[in-house]
Amino acid sequence: MSEHIRWTRNRREFLTHAFCGFGSLAFAQMTAQAAAKNPLAPKPPHMPDKAKAKSVIFLFQAGGPSHMETFDPKPLLNQLNGQPRPAEFGEAKYQFVSKTAKLLGTKRTFKRYGKSGIEVSDLFPHQGSIVDDLAIIRSCHGDMVVHSAAQYQLMTGRILPGFPNMGSWVAYGLGTESESLPAYCVLPDPKGALEAGQPMYTQGFLPAVYQPTMLRAGARPVLNLDLPEGISTPQRRRTLDLLRNLNEAEMKPGDAELEARISAYDLAFKMQTEAPEAFDISKETDAMRELYGIGKKETDDYGRRCLLARRLVERGVRFITVVAGGGPGNMQWDAHSNIEENHIRMAGHTDQPVAALIKDLKQRGLLDSTLVVWGGEFGRSPESEGTQGRDHHNLGFSMWMAGGGIKGGQVVGATDAIGLRAIEKPYHFRDIHTTILNQLGLQQDALSYLHLGRRERLTEVHGQVISEIV
Amino acid sequence: MNMCSHRLAALLSAILVFHLAAEETIAPLGTYTAIERRHWAFQKRATPDIPTFTDPADNEWIKNPVDAFVLARLKKAGLSPAPEADRRTLIRRATFTLIGLPPTPEEIEAFVKDTAPNAWEKVVDRLLASPHYGERWGQHWLDVVRFAESDGFEYDTHRNGAWRFRDYAIQSFNEDKPYDKFLMEQLAGDEIAPKAEPMRVAAGLQRMGPLRKNAGNQEVASSRNEVLTEMTNVVGAAFLGVTLGCARCHDHKFDPIRQADYYRIQSYFSATHEKDIPLASEAEQAAWQAKAKSAQDEIKALRAELRGKVGDERLELEKKLEAANDRLPAQLPALYSVENDFAKVSPIHLLNRGEYNQPKEKVGARPLGVLLPDGTPERTTLPENPRTKLAEWLIDPDNPLTSRVIANRIWHWQFGRGLVATPNDFGKMGLRPSHPELLDYLANQVIAGGWRMKPMHKLLLTSSTWRQSFESPISAKAEAEDPENKLLWHWSRRRLEAEELRDSLLAVAGKLNPKAGGPSVIVPVDPELVNFLYKPSQWAITPDATEHDRRSVYLMAKRNLRLPMMETFDAPDLQISCARRESSTHAPQALELTNGDLASRMANAFAARIQAESKGDRNKLVERAWLLTTGRPPSAKERTLAAQYLNEGQPLREFALAVLNLNAFLYVD
Repeated sequence: MSEHIRWTRNRREFLTHAFCGFGSLAFAQMTAQAAAKNPLAPKPPHMPDKAKAKSVIFLFQAGGPSHMETFDPKPLLNQLNGQPRPAEFGEAKYQFVSKTAKLLGTKRTFKRYGKSGIEVSDLFPHQGSIVDDLAIIRSCHGDMVVHSAAQYQLMTGRILPGFPNMGSWVAYGLGTESESLPAYCVLPDPKGALEAGQPMYTQGFLPAVYQPTMLRAGARPVLNLDLPEGISTPQRRRTLDLLRNLNEAEMKPGDAELEARISAYDLAFKMQTEAPEAFDISKETDAMRELYGIGKKETDDYGRRCLLARRLVERGVRFITVVAGGGPGNMQWDAHSNIEENHIRMAGHTDQPVAALIKDLKQRGLLDSTLVVWGGEFGRSPESEGTQGRDHHNLGFSMWMAGGGIKGGQVVGATDAIGLRAIEKPYHFRDIHTTILNQLGLQQDALSYLHLGRRERLTEVHGQVISEIV
Repeated sequence: MNMCSHRLAALLSAILVFHLAAEETIAPLGTYTAIERRHWAFQKRATPDIPTFTDPADNEWIKNPVDAFVLARLKKAGLSPAPEADRRTLIRRATFTLIGLPPTPEEIEAFVKDTAPNAWEKVVDRLLASPHYGERWGQHWLDVVRFAESDGFEYDTHRNGAWRFRDYAIQSFNEDKPYDKFLMEQLAGDEIAPKAEPMRVAAGLQRMGPLRKNAGNQEVASSRNEVLTEMTNVVGAAFLGVTLGCARCHDHKFDPIRQADYYRIQSYFSATHEKDIPLASEAEQAAWQAKAKSAQDEIKALRAELRGKVGDERLELEKKLEAANDRLPAQLPALYSVENDFAKVSPIHLLNRGEYNQPKEKVGARPLGVLLPDGTPERTTLPENPRTKLAEWLIDPDNPLTSRVIANRIWHWQFGRGLVATPNDFGKMGLRPSHPELLDYLANQVIAGGWRMKPMHKLLLTSSTWRQSFESPISAKAEAEDPENKLLWHWSRRRLEAEELRDSLLAVAGKLNPKAGGPSVIVPVDPELVNFLYKPSQWAITPDATEHDRRSVYLMAKRNLRLPMMETFDAPDLQISCARRESSTHAPQALELTNGDLASRMANAFAARIQAESKGDRNKLVERAWLLTTGRPPSAKERTLAAQYLNEGQPLREFALAVLNLNAFLYVD
């Protein structure tokens, strides 16, 4: 159905159109009472038969990891090392490198792993060990070659700020199964911010109820969960009881809006008392901590955050983004000056925790209902930047998906012989988005929201499900 | 540029246009069908008859024509208006609506006791004359024009002097500037009075959108296209109330707006370029230059060196460049504005799918075709004052959209729901007006009243429609038939908006610093949030802590760091025009208002205030708490609950916190 078509002129229409929202009301009627008290109450998916995944973990590899050094071996690139790009591969636009740049071979070696025998580079031995669970898409592409705009497109489907992150869209479509945790969490890299900044994670024009909860580093990950100094939990409970009694004293029965406000305080209190338990990974066994590489300097941080992501999924959180890379470019995958140094270091931080997450989810029987997505805002250039670096590159690069109904142990699509361009089954970010929605049972056109006269959706232009992997 | 070279440039550009035209195709002018022209919003405004009634009770209720239109519609639906709200409710409602703050207990008492027949009018006049009025209504406008003081995107650079636009908006509302003038100044202030500071500030509208700056290989054409897009889209959203932006990539799918219309409007901006106008004296500038010289020379040298550099070398140079930038002395005051540069006119083409590098037919400037007779020619050369020409068309009383759009915005900001419930979209995808005759009546009034807003406010506030209570004797029936209150059978309750809430917390706690205007304030926030900035040093907290308690409209509007409280209570995201705010209810709001820094600080201050003002009398303390926050004394039930709590020896700041979280405080009914 066209994004612009309108149907009714009744109450529902008003809520959908005028208030730019609550299009979910059609569903909410089924769960009207729950929804009246909590707009994040779980909602049924549009396509229950296709809903394989209940939660999504997006392992965002910020800065753009190289496909040629990870999942997309290019022997020809080594042969052409130091030569200009042969004309038959066509043109490409880069952020820094010029037309005269020379191709750069890779020092990585590739090995076949698992039953599928998929080749993975020596940067990722741990991910090699789980390759039979991964569907590697070697033909991803996006429209932008600079960080901020590319990050916006990966996160929101649009190259400009102001549009909702996919996590907000999913929370809008499905609500959350957790009563004491947020629907959509971001675990940023404590090393610092990314180019697109906070707006890439936020809910854009959707109501603030779909905003992300940023889980910060340290012992107190959520803002405002701590009581002010000198106030005890029973004291605060008593205060909230007073508040409830006062609010109810003057309220007409059946006043849904004010009832929702009262419930929000109960939910907040629950969050305050129960969430810290979710964030506390000290209760995990030593073996589990070891699996994720917690306690080892290299992997400790990303390991902790991946393990936290699993704990959140277990408790019903709908969408979790775990960011790898932050702060200045070289603290991300943004290997402009030295691909070797940067990627060996970044892989060292992330490879073991990423594989541990898949193994852990699988062993708990959670992988079937959890879609895990790995990738950055672009890949890297086949040409060298300087003598050993690689520039940004958006015309062809790799991402992978696992769990949540994805058929693992396969490779989809291909770039050309030097990794310049996705030539076989190219998949755009909007196709990645469509596939994520599809696995959750959400239909890209139905998941829409009227804003400034347009029925906005995550995929903007119609995306396609990556049919090979679902 | 002097007049002579100006003309020369115009001549050259005309020759250039002619030259290009010879080899380029020009987009056809296009035609618009009768059906397309028939859409209600494109029709000439009517002069509707004011409905009359025979029943004396009806005529008693009708205070002005607004009521007549509303009552006629209600009767048609078999509904009836709610009785008038009590005086406490009315003054609280009016005070929030007009100045965004709660009334003081003294103001309430004075009104309740005032027996003069014009007691209500006096309240309305007082509020309209308050300097706080512009702070509230200026914010509404800032929402529409997506005002912010930073570029957004990765660098999110702060814009020197951008706060002046905020003060310009506030002052314009306070002095009741006619809307046609207000519009003209913002679109073309630099053209109509280039020497007048406020006019240059107003024209800053053209630079209000987010701005992407790239490191590395600059795509000048792409960036220019993004800038032009921002300038064009806001004309549609803010002034015309049509989704013009939809026609950037293709003909509008539902409204008779062709892609050519989009680019013809864009043509008016083709000579517009950013311009920072220094305010410092020449001596100050010279002193600044002297101080900045070494850093500037280094920056220049480094930039030259950077060209073509990649990899490690580039990183090294970039580090040096940043260090050199940090050594520059603090910026001197400047105006954030635009001006025309006719030597740099961007040729405007239709762009295939909106892609800057896929130009199609060339176009010249022309307003929206559907509002012109078929065959109206476009301008083949740009006039000397192109944006003035566009503004003149917009404010022409014959333009069917502009006056309806502003009349509807006023209604929306008064009642919480516009007569057209989609204030930025009067097209086919928008909702049709609930009261088309009333909308036309009001639009006519806007023009007849010289486009002033304060008389419009007074017209609405003195109507019986506005003074209805939230409670209605027919609510069971009316809720079922008209749950959204489209027909205005009662007052629609609303939650305080983010800024109102923050300002009210400060006000009732006795902490609000009422200082008006000036550079924006940066308040302390959780350091982790600052760490999410690409350049955390941008968040330079204003040293004077009393500044932190100023009204929200004076806080730094930074695209990449919004205050958690603003974010959580549905303040707009500062990226896209916001015509209507959401009002969502969720747990993080409760956390913010019970554990957040501001709530905690205000609970302590509020506790101290009610303690001091009741001199140890607990009954008085409870009463004072209610009067300050809800505008009424506590009910017997509330008194009992409060007394029980306090008798248990619970901390007073927790009691204060509970009161600051009351529904009766957060909602306006």
